[in-house]
Amino acid sequence: MSKPAVFSLDQALRRSFVNLEDSQKVWRKVLEDCNPLMESLGNLAEQSAALSGLQISNTPLRDFPDLEERLRFKLSLETDSVLRKLHENMSSLQAVRDSVSHHLSAVQQQFDQISESLDLLDLTQRSASTPSVCDLMEWLQDAERLYRLQFLRRKTLLQTLRVDDFCLLESAPQRWKSVECESSEDQITETLCRVSFFMESQ
Amino acid sequence: MEGESGDITVTSSNRKCSAVTGSGRKTKDNAADWHNLMLRWERLNDDGFKAATNIVNLRRSQSDRLLVDESSSSSSSSASQQTAAAAELQDECIKLQEVVDKMVAVVTKMERLVTSQRGIRDLEEFQFGPEGRKIPLFHSWSSKQLEESCHFLFAAYSQELQLKRTILQEVAHTATSDLCLVYLSCWLHQPFIPPHSRLTLEALLLETGHRPL
Repeated sequence: MSKPAVFSLDQALRRSFVNLEDSQKVWRKVLEDCNPLMESLGNLAEQSAALSGLQISNTPLRDFPDLEERLRFKLSLETDSVLRKLHENMSSLQAVRDSVSHHLSAVQQQFDQISESLDLLDLTQRSASTPSVCDLMEWLQDAERLYRLQFLRRKTLLQTLRVDDFCLLESAPQRWKSVECESSEDQITETLCRVSFFMESQ
Repeated sequence: MEGESGDITVTSSNRKCSAVTGSGRKTKDNAADWHNLMLRWERLNDDGFKAATNIVNLRRSQSDRLLVDESSSSSSSSASQQTAAAAELQDECIKLQEVVDKMVAVVTKMERLVTSQRGIRDLEEFQFGPEGRKIPLFHSWSSKQLEESCHFLFAAYSQELQLKRTILQEVAHTATSDLCLVYLSCWLHQPFIPPHSRLTLEALLLETGHRPL
């Protein structure tokens, strides 16, 4: 067993988890920013649906020329603006996903280079403050997979939304919420707790 | 030196020495007034939207309460509840009325600006003939263009005010929830104020020197 090789792998793992901690903060912030946007989307869709469900000529608004078209136009503009902001937020989520993936690749590359010289003991040895290399790599892979899938689901959801399809828009906030499964966010937090001593050690 | 944030006050930085006098001075002041009036309108729109939303919500809970009262037999506490709710509804209606009254004042001032701009154009025709002045008052716009911009804005706000008056009259008496939502939607999104009205104002401010080129 060559100590320096394991040492540099440890360093790479440590960097990855520090990055994961930062990434989680960014991810949470972006999702927080998305919440009011999704709510707006739902509201706008509700307004569009109400407009469609109404016969303007049977209401006191009948004397206003082209009211329906004008209001619909304004609602489309607003919806478009909200969708654009959501897509911009997707870039931030993508950056998080890419960052975590990049660190994982770096770790995996290092591991591949030294794996021949490592035995089972090196891989599974753990202490009170330091998890085993196996565990660390597993948790990192899980985190990367989580962000990758979450991003994909959210991106796909947004790409199905069209300004003029208010049925889909109305259900979008609900579907957005359901993409987030409670366990996923907790999983990252738990991982970071488990590696907190490891991250602090040299 | 600066007034309320967003208001344009005449400062030494935007007064173009002594060259801007007479028609130029008046037009430049009018442009500043347009900006301030449109800003005031937006604030009133926000206030009005809050009041209108409260009215719709109060009406909704009022009718919900009536349904509950009809199905249950108790009525002693509900009578006082209803009075309180009615008073609250009245308050919100008064607030909305006040907002619309202030909007009427804004549009009246806008009309005066249009009249003023027309007067400037008439004077120019008198001084220079039907073609107007050869050299533009500011950068490139003719008096006709200046007047048309003002008229475009006034027409938009005027029409929007009519819609707001209708909403004020109807929103507290509407039973259908779709129609209520459309009233609120109309109030908030202002269908008769086209998106490029903001651009028209900015162009006017740019032309008259309130914004740097």
